[in-house]
Amino acid sequence: MPPFLFWIFALLMLVFGAAVVINRNPIASALNLVVSFLGLAALFMSLDAFFVGIIQVLIYAGAIMVLFLFIIMLLDLRAEKLRKINWLASAGGIAVALVLLTQILYVIGNLKAAQQTFPPLARSTIDDVRNVGLVLFGNYNLPFQIIGILVLVATIGIVLLSRHELR
Amino acid sequence: MIPARNLEIAVLVLGMLVLLFEAFVERIDKRTLAFAAIGALTVVLIGTWFLEPGPALESATGFWSFYTADPLSIFFKRFALLTTIVVLVMMIDYAPVLRSSAGATSQSGLGEFFALPIFTCAGLMYIVSAIDFVMIFVSIELVTISFYVLVSFTRRNPTTLEAGVKYLVLSALSTAFLVYGITWIFGVTGETNLQRITTAFANPEIERGGALFGAVLVLVGLGFKIAAVPFQIWVPDVYQGAPTPVTAYLSVGSKAAGFVVLVRVLRPFMMLPQMERLLVLIALLTVIYGNLAALPQSNLKRLLAYSSIAHAGYLLIGVACLAGSAVIFYLVAYLLMTLLSFAVLIVVAQRAGEQISDFDGLAKRSPFLAFAMLIAMVSLAGVPFTAGFFGKFFIFYAAIAQRQTVLVVAGVVTVACGFYYYLKVVRAMYWQVPTSEEKIPVNALSRATMSALIVATIWLGIYPWPILEALKR
Repeated sequence: MPPFLFWIFALLMLVFGAAVVINRNPIASALNLVVSFLGLAALFMSLDAFFVGIIQVLIYAGAIMVLFLFIIMLLDLRAEKLRKINWLASAGGIAVALVLLTQILYVIGNLKAAQQTFPPLARSTIDDVRNVGLVLFGNYNLPFQIIGILVLVATIGIVLLSRHELR
Repeated sequence: MIPARNLEIAVLVLGMLVLLFEAFVERIDKRTLAFAAIGALTVVLIGTWFLEPGPALESATGFWSFYTADPLSIFFKRFALLTTIVVLVMMIDYAPVLRSSAGATSQSGLGEFFALPIFTCAGLMYIVSAIDFVMIFVSIELVTISFYVLVSFTRRNPTTLEAGVKYLVLSALSTAFLVYGITWIFGVTGETNLQRITTAFANPEIERGGALFGAVLVLVGLGFKIAAVPFQIWVPDVYQGAPTPVTAYLSVGSKAAGFVVLVRVLRPFMMLPQMERLLVLIALLTVIYGNLAALPQSNLKRLLAYSSIAHAGYLLIGVACLAGSAVIFYLVAYLLMTLLSFAVLIVVAQRAGEQISDFDGLAKRSPFLAFAMLIAMVSLAGVPFTAGFFGKFFIFYAAIAQRQTVLVVAGVVTVACGFYYYLKVVRAMYWQVPTSEEKIPVNALSRATMSALIVATIWLGIYPWPILEALKR
């Protein structure tokens, strides 16, 4: 992939990611998040991870966002009222974020791997759906099964906490 | 002989059975489920003494490169089971409060309230066995997600709701740091297994900057779980707002698991420069902040929250001095005395309240409860002949052996602070005039649990060697 495409998609993600936070209207935030996810999916595809890219679109941009929009609709959320901004807290937050950014840039700048160009990826002999499956159900089987328990606990929690009246 | 992995499977099956019974069997006292769960967990606890040993860490492949059954993990599996059993006993005591805050007269939600800690227990048992970053992450999440639900369980109460939201948001943030750190370490070494990461970090060709950055981010994530300064901001509000048995579980189970992971990742991390200095700094900040902030508190639950930060500080002193067995002994002592104080608090809070002034003259109203609280408080303060004393003694001994003078001085000065605020509770119980003469009843199971905790606290304060021996094997 030509490098300028990377920059376009990365910029897309950043701009719309920021818009998610800045927007006061929950629906606008959710829609911005969709675009941000699409940018991420494009980045995955550019790394030849087609399966992960498509899953990103199907699950995140598709299913999860629809769920978000439904919840926003059901709860009838309105645009947030403009609150008074605590300037001291925001300044502190921005300062922390800048320090972290500088730190990341410094670490990446000193990384030996970041200064050399990589050879193009070798063509995989098996398709990546199979690859992901082999990793998940083969080597990483135990953590994968624990995620199953985790989802069960999360489901119980949602049922409990969203029950209107405990009966 | 039982394969080690069957322990977690048994606990998970128990959790699902409790859920099924709660859903399909009507017209039973839901507390029966808790009693049954306590019995079953005790059986599992006994089962931990009949385990097949796993292969050595160095030669582990497949399943065993994620999961280990070394003495450390088995010891802490017992620890997790014991904590869960005591927490279930507390939850039975707490059930009336839950019912009244649910706004219903029946036993709604009680079954889930008893089932969730069982899943948390399985999560804790997986954490202490985890020797791979993927496994560590997944099992920490299992524990955290069940705590999200437990913390906000009585959500009609505004302080509980606030606690739940705070815990959710800040915990998610810390998880993000943890994952980001793990990806950096994976990027630099290409490994997620701790053993292989240690080997990779020992290689001088390694990308120092990236490895160090990843390690620091992982420390941030773990620092949140163990409530180390500066990642402690969530602790006071969440501890105060959560239902009291959940607070006890959070301050013992979640913290112990965090420390076990910390001890495990320390071996690879100590291969990196400056890690030790960073740990010393965090330990220093944590003991000082925890103890000073506890001084002015008047709510006992909040006081215990700050005290748990302070104890995390002492534990971190042990970690920074690489004194593994001292840290583990301290964790055991901490388990006993913290659970004891919360058990008393739950009973007293239902009749009086959570303020220290509500404990006024408790010795006259209920000598047994007052004595139990006395033992818990003097042990937390570190008075000789209690488990807390030996805990601090071993930690400071290790610090002196490592010539960490600053840590020893800070530790000793803050212990003196601790005496002030712990003995404030004792003074209220024994020297103040009671506001009411009404007796406070304690049911038989709680009384037996408290007595066992009292005996264990005093016994370990006189004869601490069994715990130290149990780890050597």
